[in-house]
Amino acid sequence: MSEHRTDWLGALVVLVALALVPAILGSSYITGIMTVALCFAMWAASWDFMSGLTGRENFGHSLFIGAGAYTAGFLNVNFGASPWWSLAASPLVAVAFSLVIGFPTLRLRGPYFALAMLSGAAVMQSLTIIFSEYTGGQDGLNGLFPFFDSELTQYYLTLFFLAATVTTLRLVANSPWGTILRAIRGDEASCQAAGINVTFYKIASLMISAAFAGLGGALYAHYQLQVGPDLFAVILSINIIIMVYVGGMGSIYGPVGGAILLILLTEALRAFSEYRLWVYTLILMLILFFLPQGLVAPLWRRLRTIAQ
Amino acid sequence: MKALLAVDGLNKRFGGLQAVKDVSFALEPGSITGVLGPNGAGKTTLFNLLTGFMAADTGKVEFDDEPLLGLAPYRIVNRGLARTFQLTRPFVGMSVLENVEVACFAPRVRHEGHARARAHAMLEHVGLAPKAASLVDVLPYGDLRRLEIARALATRPKLLLLDEPFAGLGSSEIQPLADLIRELHRKEGLTILIIEHKLRELMQLAHEVIAMDFGEVVATGVPAEIVRHPRVVEAYIGKAEIGESGGALGAA
Amino acid sequence: MAEILVYGAVISAIYAMLAVGFTLIFGVARILNLAHGSFYALGAYGVYALTADAHLPLFLAAAVAVLLVALFGVAVERVLVRPLRRSTLAVLMITLAVALMVEQVLLLIFGSEARNVPSMVNATFDVMGADVSGQRLLALSGAIAILSALWFFMQRTRLGAAILAISQDAEAAQYMGIPSDRIFSLVMGLSAGIAAAAGVLVAPFQTVIPGMGLLPLVKAFAIVVVGGLGSIVGSIVGALLLGYTETIIAFKISIEWSQIVSVAAVLLTLILRPAGFFGKRAAF
Repeated sequence: MSEHRTDWLGALVVLVALALVPAILGSSYITGIMTVALCFAMWAASWDFMSGLTGRENFGHSLFIGAGAYTAGFLNVNFGASPWWSLAASPLVAVAFSLVIGFPTLRLRGPYFALAMLSGAAVMQSLTIIFSEYTGGQDGLNGLFPFFDSELTQYYLTLFFLAATVTTLRLVANSPWGTILRAIRGDEASCQAAGINVTFYKIASLMISAAFAGLGGALYAHYQLQVGPDLFAVILSINIIIMVYVGGMGSIYGPVGGAILLILLTEALRAFSEYRLWVYTLILMLILFFLPQGLVAPLWRRLRTIAQ
Repeated sequence: MKALLAVDGLNKRFGGLQAVKDVSFALEPGSITGVLGPNGAGKTTLFNLLTGFMAADTGKVEFDDEPLLGLAPYRIVNRGLARTFQLTRPFVGMSVLENVEVACFAPRVRHEGHARARAHAMLEHVGLAPKAASLVDVLPYGDLRRLEIARALATRPKLLLLDEPFAGLGSSEIQPLADLIRELHRKEGLTILIIEHKLRELMQLAHEVIAMDFGEVVATGVPAEIVRHPRVVEAYIGKAEIGESGGALGAA
Repeated sequence: MAEILVYGAVISAIYAMLAVGFTLIFGVARILNLAHGSFYALGAYGVYALTADAHLPLFLAAAVAVLLVALFGVAVERVLVRPLRRSTLAVLMITLAVALMVEQVLLLIFGSEARNVPSMVNATFDVMGADVSGQRLLALSGAIAILSALWFFMQRTRLGAAILAISQDAEAAQYMGIPSDRIFSLVMGLSAGIAAAAGVLVAPFQTVIPGMGLLPLVKAFAIVVVGGLGSIVGSIVGALLLGYTETIIAFKISIEWSQIVSVAAVLLTLILRPAGFFGKRAAF
């Protein structure tokens, strides 16, 4: 069996398992946690597509998540639009944000992009407070409508979009586009010498990454039925990066596993919730020093070799 | 014959240092031209200016009758002017084949199968085909040089700029690489510009040599004239290369 | 008007202290230190703990706090950053981990509520018709003194010359026999110490909370981009620009709006002049 076929087979098994778990357990508590986990998985995968492949670290992914979520909030709460509109509008707004930050910073080498994303997200968070008239300030926007009344149906909708996201991103990552993005990670000057318009590919990949993050933001907003300034928080971006590191950078599917693992771990450690960040930080340090390839992706590669 | 590349009054200054000073020359299509000069003579800066990696202060560069200066490096490559780097710069973490494939995707992404086939052909060309699948990170230095050339060829250049292709190679690797360059010139009709600070290799390959020192062109001519030119001798006096060049001339 | 002048000077001076250290360690060791804001927070908490819990006299506590944070900076560089220095990504992540860790430790020990640090000077002074607390004036003069000392150190001592040499060309410096590893540790300590001193000076009039390091990091970054990465003069000019713009907006419009200045400045600078206004090397 070829590597690709084994990959798709593995993905199918995971998809079926994800579909069955809440249905079998039938607990609304588990379904809720899993819905959140799938949103994080979407954010981690979309982060990995840009930053994992091109090696340009984005320290403000929450900028796109918050932009998507607040777009959903405004449309739904302030304008009374149906939640389904968010699925189109949120990605678009997130893409607009990616252009504003990406265009000036991704032309440059050096750490500008990483830090501009960090600052952009931090400032958006304080903007939500400044414009509390419209954004509800610290309380955020409340009373969003869900897509479906049934939690389980809502979960399946999220699962559907996660599957679509991962499939799309993997297909692009395995196409010539992915080869070019990985080449950019290798050496930008050489890419130029190979005739590649490096800036174009970096900005385009950030736009794709932002679109899926925004979509995830909309799904999250219509599940929580509330959006708040924390969706722009730097710590949210950092949690996502840690999930990607746990999963294995540049693999797209690894971060999905990393996100689900860490969200479940967080729930398991609920009794010690004030130590949650400790655990995350510790995991990050251990990974940096001892498992630079991450956990999930190398594990799958090993399983794949055994399966073949 | 109409010149393929015409450089006119090119200048570049770094702070107090005039790295390239009023450089002018023209390349005939189908020629192999060498740029000779000691380290720090401004050869690599000249390459960086021609390929858009650095912005020139003043001057004009015409390639195929169209101005080049001010274009982004990738645009210059896509006009048919490709380069290699003095220190090889492979895409680490990717296979040898993928490294060349990237260049087949310029100027725009095309059918993956075609690109792969073309990349394979390029590797064939430079003799790296048996190593197509191996990871570039473990490639020996001599192969990395060939990889650089394969990648440059994949962009379908009319003019190939080679930045010290022999640097760091053992004596057994130099001759085959020189043969490869000569073959590219003969079979593909490629125009080639080579930087080299070792006389011996340059004398063998080049039809014409541009000698540089302190950022200026000090002499232009056929190799045999150039090595006798007083400014060239002056620039090389006391340097190890003078002994080498004497040997090379004797051998030639 | 007078208020703007004085408050702007105070905030600019503090920003300059933060930005100089941030740009120095980047220029010298190419370490983009996301833990830089933590040093600032640690300085503020250090002086709090040493006065409130250890009952040290205020000025002694300030000095000890700065020294301890400087040593912490050296330890971070030696133990955590150095083994990962080959990869810029890993360095970014490890400094991020340090920032998270520091915030968690502070949260664990001191809780999330704001702490009060006593002023070193209690008097209020009349400056050109504006009432200014003595602590702000002390912060201003302290910052100027520290920055001048740094300037003198860089310009007049052999060690300072070595640091400048490395920041201009690390490879050449290696050839000249300057031991860069030791210099990296030293600069990290220096940069941490200056950030801590800034934290100590502002602690009496700033909200001292565990997350107080994030915004200064954003500010330091903005200043350094405006001034040019790696340029010390640039970061001082950048600090003045940002400090005064923020103060003017805070007085004329609202404090919240002043927070937008930094990001707007970053984006504008990168669009207009990517190397920053004092950057030597082109940024791309």
